[in-house]
Amino acid sequence: MELCLFLGCNTPAIRPDVERAIRASMPVLGIDLVDADNYVCCPAFGAFPSTDTDSWLATSGWNLSIAEQKGCDIVVQCGSCYSSLRMGREHIMHHPDKKDRVNELLEPTGRRVEGTSKVRHVSEVLYKEIGPETIAGQIKKSLKGMNGVVQYPCHTLFPSEVVGFEDSARAPKGMRQLVEALGANVNSYSRELQCCGGAGGFMKSTPEQAIEFAKSKFDAILAETQTDFIAVSCITCLMHMENVQNTLNKRVGEERYKIPVFDYNQLLALCLGFEAKQVASITNVSRDSVLSRIA
Amino acid sequence: MDLKGSIPDLWKAIYNTGDLHHCFNCSTCISGCPASFGDPPLLVRNLARKVILGLEEELLNDDTPWACVSCSKCEEMCPMDVKPFEMILSIRQWQSANDETRVPPSIVEIYKRGYTQAVGVNTELRDSLGLPELMTITKNPEQLQMFREMLMKTPVVSANDYMFGG
Repeated sequence: MELCLFLGCNTPAIRPDVERAIRASMPVLGIDLVDADNYVCCPAFGAFPSTDTDSWLATSGWNLSIAEQKGCDIVVQCGSCYSSLRMGREHIMHHPDKKDRVNELLEPTGRRVEGTSKVRHVSEVLYKEIGPETIAGQIKKSLKGMNGVVQYPCHTLFPSEVVGFEDSARAPKGMRQLVEALGANVNSYSRELQCCGGAGGFMKSTPEQAIEFAKSKFDAILAETQTDFIAVSCITCLMHMENVQNTLNKRVGEERYKIPVFDYNQLLALCLGFEAKQVASITNVSRDSVLSRIA
Repeated sequence: MDLKGSIPDLWKAIYNTGDLHHCFNCSTCISGCPASFGDPPLLVRNLARKVILGLEEELLNDDTPWACVSCSKCEEMCPMDVKPFEMILSIRQWQSANDETRVPPSIVEIYKRGYTQAVGVNTELRDSLGLPELMTITKNPEQLQMFREMLMKTPVVSANDYMFGG
């Protein structure tokens, strides 16, 4: 199966090792990735979706048209990109007047959007298209003997009728099954479904409260689990859940928060035999305690 | 609450949907909201009330819609299908259209280079990871120009063209 890889902004610019992990792991599992040349910002919810519908949907349409020209669906890792592209597509598909306006704006650029390409999250492709059993059968190394917790990307859960793929957005199972497929034992905890809080303006407008909000999650992880790592599948979750641990350590004056955070595709690529220096090298929280145990 | 000066039809300019009027202030939108822990808190229910009552000045001066993390849990949980996240975006759009200081600087970045971040310029790092060169729009002047011309035909960019270098 061929999918058009939509990288967004943060992954290629700040965490290209995650991009490497995706490009390395997906073809092994039968997913060929083609690049979305000349793509633009998804657009981020804080950008055009916060100014007007025309610029929002024209930008969505620009990106969707790239995949349509290639004749395949889009695959995305970033939660915000995924949700923005899906919501944009939803508006275009269900409102003929909006679709007409988008195509009017796109026309001088030689582009057109019909809605033939769907937008898929990488965790959905792994969970539903490939499946945990196939993944378990393909890996060369495993996370056996380790405990993990999972962070579901909010943007893949809500609103479920637009972005969802889980049987229940209130009791999702995908990330857990995907991490279990790599041999780890997944721990549950009370704040498992609490948002990381890293997206949008919360952290920028009221950082004190956003950090406290994150602290409540990390304190629950430390009190209720034996976890060795956190598995995420969203670039914002990854960056925020690392950065906030360092901030919290400065606050409490000790190295209390030091749980390694991995994008799922990084763990997958490591278990498929790819080298950590290529697929999991950029981090603010040491991953050595996990990397040394993958065997 | 002083309703003098309220504009009964303001909701039509901000969030023109019958869904909004189903809101009965139950606070489900707040209970799962990360930004409700902010200071000041984002209280989605209160914003819905302000829109319905037509409190123009209060809404224009309200920063809290911008604290939303876009998780859309409110959209999922709202029992009356008000679609609170869409309402938040609509309030931001209305503020941006009526107050140029609300226009997010990120749209200027996107207009200039296609992205909010400097995508594709970290070539040494990308090389060291074995990654290919990215065919970004920033490197394709013809495509970037078409993208800009498209955006210049949309309301907020064209109304504030001075922000985008003419």
